[in-house]
Amino acid sequence: MIGRAFAAAFTKDVRLLARDRVGLVFLTLAPIVVITVAGLSLATLYGAAPRGGSAPILPLVDDDGGWAGRAVRERLADEAAVRVRTVATAAAARDLVERKAVGGALVIPAGTSDALAAGRGASLELYTDPVRTVDVGILRALVQEVRHALERGAIDRAQEELDRARTDAEDAQAHIVIRLRELRERLARLREQLAAARTRVATAEHETRTRAAAAARARLATELAPLRAFLADLDDRRAAFDAWLAAVRKQAGRFADRVPPPPEPPRVPLAVAELATLDPDALAARLLPADGTVPRPGIPSLPTLPALELPTMPELPAARLPGRLDIVETSVTGAPVRFNTFDQNVPGFGVTFLLLGVLLGVSLGLLHEREWGTLERICTTAAPLSAVVLGKLAARFVVGMAQMALLFAVGRIAFGVSLGPEPWALALPTTGIVFAATAFGLIAAGATRSREAVLPLGAIVILTMAAVGGCWWPIDLEPEWMRRVALAFPTTWVMEAYNDLMIRRRTAVQILPATGVLLAYGAGYLVLGLALFGRRAVR
Amino acid sequence: MDAVSAGVNTAGRVTSVVAVERLVKRYGALVALDDVSFTIAPGEIVALLGPNGAGKSTTLGVLATLVSYDAGTVAIAGYRLPEGAARARRALGLVPQHVAVYPTLSARENLTFFARTAGLGGRAAMQAVDAALATVGLAERADEAAARLSGGMRRRLNLGCGILHRPAAVLLDEPVVGVDPQSRERIFDAVTALARDGAAVLYSTHQMDEAERLCGRVVLLDRGRVVADGTPAALVGRAGMSPRLELRTLRPLTAGWLDGVAGATLIDANGGGTMVAVGDTAAVPAVLAAALRAGADIREMTLHRPTLADAFFAFTGRALRDDEADAAPPP
Repeated sequence: MIGRAFAAAFTKDVRLLARDRVGLVFLTLAPIVVITVAGLSLATLYGAAPRGGSAPILPLVDDDGGWAGRAVRERLADEAAVRVRTVATAAAARDLVERKAVGGALVIPAGTSDALAAGRGASLELYTDPVRTVDVGILRALVQEVRHALERGAIDRAQEELDRARTDAEDAQAHIVIRLRELRERLARLREQLAAARTRVATAEHETRTRAAAAARARLATELAPLRAFLADLDDRRAAFDAWLAAVRKQAGRFADRVPPPPEPPRVPLAVAELATLDPDALAARLLPADGTVPRPGIPSLPTLPALELPTMPELPAARLPGRLDIVETSVTGAPVRFNTFDQNVPGFGVTFLLLGVLLGVSLGLLHEREWGTLERICTTAAPLSAVVLGKLAARFVVGMAQMALLFAVGRIAFGVSLGPEPWALALPTTGIVFAATAFGLIAAGATRSREAVLPLGAIVILTMAAVGGCWWPIDLEPEWMRRVALAFPTTWVMEAYNDLMIRRRTAVQILPATGVLLAYGAGYLVLGLALFGRRAVR
Repeated sequence: MDAVSAGVNTAGRVTSVVAVERLVKRYGALVALDDVSFTIAPGEIVALLGPNGAGKSTTLGVLATLVSYDAGTVAIAGYRLPEGAARARRALGLVPQHVAVYPTLSARENLTFFARTAGLGGRAAMQAVDAALATVGLAERADEAAARLSGGMRRRLNLGCGILHRPAAVLLDEPVVGVDPQSRERIFDAVTALARDGAAVLYSTHQMDEAERLCGRVVLLDRGRVVADGTPAALVGRAGMSPRLELRTLRPLTAGWLDGVAGATLIDANGGGTMVAVGDTAAVPAVLAAALRAGADIREMTLHRPTLADAFFAFTGRALRDDEADAAPPP
C-alpha cells in the first residue's frame, strides 16, 4: 500500500512537473542563461584564457627607443593577456583611453634606458580609465612584470660585471700579496743594513768625540795655565798684603785706628775664578760646542731601495646598480585611480532591482488588469487605451525614479558613493533607464498572455540585461563579442553613463549621448509595446 | 462616416441602440457566430439566452468593441463597428461576467476611475459616482476596499462601474451569477431602472428565470446561430410547447393506460417515471384518474408549465445546461 501510494504520488508529480512549462523554464532555461552569461562574463576573472579575442588592447608608446623600450615590447609581444598596439605619441595613447577605446596605455618616456643604466630612477607612465578595472588590473600586473623583468635584467648584467671585477680583483690581490712579501723581505734586509750602519756611525762618532774632547781639554789646560798661575800669584800677594797690613796695624798700636784703610784690591770675577778651579773636562764640555768643533763621522751611503713591482690593477667595473623603475599611473579623466566599489554596485544593483520593480511591475500590473477584467472594461470606455496605459506607465515611472533616488541617497549616506561633479546629472540616465524599463514592461505584457509566462520571460530578460549590461560586474570582464552584444541593452548604456558620472567624474554634457540612446530605446520599446498590447486588447 | 443605416430611421433618429445584422465571427475553422441578427430599441431589455458555447460571450465581445468580426454589420447608437468604435464606446456600458474592479481600491475610487474613463470630469464624475452608489446600494460601504466587500456587493459594484455614465447601450454578462438574493434584487431593480430611463439593455444569461423575469424579448442562441427571437411567451408558444405532467409511481404503468384520455399524450415512460403532455391543464384530472384506474401507486406528481428552457429544447433538441464544447474565443 505504501509503495503503491508512493509510486502514484511520484508518477503524478512527475506528470505535473512535465506539464508545468513555467517550472521547466525556471528549472532549465533560466539557469542555463544565467550560467552562460555569468560563465562567459567571469571567465577572465577566474583566470581562464579570454575567448573571442577579448584580451585588452594595450597601446604602447616607446619614446625611449633604447634597450628598455625593446625589452618592454619583447616582453609584451608574447603576452596572451594583452594585445599590444604601437602608438606614435603619448597624446594619441591618452586620447584612446579618454575615448574609452582601451582601458589603459603604456608610455616608455625618453631617456628611460639611459637613466636606468646610469643608476638613476625612471618611470613608466600608465594612462588608465578607472572604470575599466579589469583591463587596468591586467595592465597593472603586466607592467609590474615588465618592470620587474627590466630591473632583473639590469641586476643580472650588473652582477655579471661585478663577478668579472671580483675575479680581476682577486687576481690582482694575489699579485699584490706576492709583491708585498718580496718587498717585506727586501725591507728586512735593508733594515739590517741600516742597523749595522747605525752602529758603525755611533762608534765612529764616540771615538771622534772622545778624541776631540781630549784635544780640547789639553788645549784648554794649556790656554788656562798662565791664568791659573796669575790667580794663584794674586792670591798669594793678597795674603801677603793682608799680613803686611796686619803687621802695620800692630805696629801702630793705639794708632792703629788712625791707619787709613788700604785701597780695596780688585776682585777676581767669579767666572774667571772658576776657570782656574774647574775640571778641564767639565770646562771643555761647557765651552766646546756640541758639533762643529767635533768632526762628523763618515755616514755610510744609503742602500739601494728595492724596486717595487706593483701588479697592474684591474679597471674599475662600469657596472652600477640599476636605477629604480617606477610606474606612474595617471587616470585620464583626473578621477582617482581606484574607486569605491559601491560606485559600481549601487547603480548596478539599483538598476537590477529597478528592472525587477518596474519591468515586472508594469507587465504584471497590466496582466492583473487583464485578469481582473478591468482592462477589458477600460477598452470599452471612451478613454483611449493608449492614454490609460501611458497613465499607468507614468505612475510606474515616478515610482522607479523615486526608487533610484532612494538607492543613490542610501548609497551616498551608507557607503559614501561618489555622485560625481554634478549630482543632478544622475537624473539624466536615471530618467532614460526608468523610461526604457517601464516601456519594456509594456512589451512583456504585450508579448505574453499570463503571469506564468511573464515571470520566466521577465526573469530571463532582467537577468540577461543586468548581467551582460555590466550591472553586476565591470563590463570589461566580458568577452569582446559580448560587450558588442551588450550595446543592444539599455543597461549597458545606463551603466556607462553612471560610470562616467560617478567614477570617471565626468559632467552632464559628456553623458548626453548615452542618455539619448536610453531615451531612444525607451521610445522604441514604447511604440512596440503599445502595438503589441493594442493587438492583445482586441481579439 | 461612422453612422450607418442600421438602427437609424430615415429621419435620422436612432431607432435601435444596438443593431446586429448577419454577424459572422470565425476562429479559424470554428464558426462562433453565424448570421446573427437582432436589434435592441431604447428602453428594451433583451435576453441573450443560450448554453455555454452558444456564442453569447462572442456576441457581447463584438458589441463591446473588444472582438473583431468577419462579416455582417454591427452598430451601437448608430455607429458602425469597428469604424465608429470610439464614438460607440461613449454610448456603451459593459458589465462583464467576472467582477472587473480593482480589489484594493474602494468602491468610490473604482467608480471614480471608471467615471473618468467614461469622460466624466469634476463635479459630473462625483455626481455620477454618488448616483451609482445609491443605485447599487453601496453608499454606506463606499470607502471600503472592493476586496473586503461581499460577493454580492462586488457584483453590485461591478454593475455600478458599467452604468454610472448612463450609457445608451448596456451589455450585461451574467450579472447575478453567484449572488445573494438581496443583491440579485438590487441588480434587477437597477437594470429595470436603466431600461426605464431609456437604455437598451442586452442581458446575457443562461438562467431562463432571469430572462423571463426581466426581459421583454429573448434571443435564443445555439451554436452561433439565432434559433429564435421574441417575447418569452411567444417563443414558448412558437415552440409548440404544452404543459407536462410527470408521475412517479411505485411500479411501471401498464401499456395503454392513457388510451381514451382526450388532450393527453404519453411522452416518456421509464420504470416508475412517466411524462405526459397535456394540451391544457384541464386534462390533468383525467390523466390522474386513468393512472389510478390502471392501479398506479402514485408517489409524486409534478405539473411542468412550458418554459424558455423547454422552448430552447424544442428549438435545438438540447437543454440550456448542456455543456458542450465551448465556442468561446480562445484566450
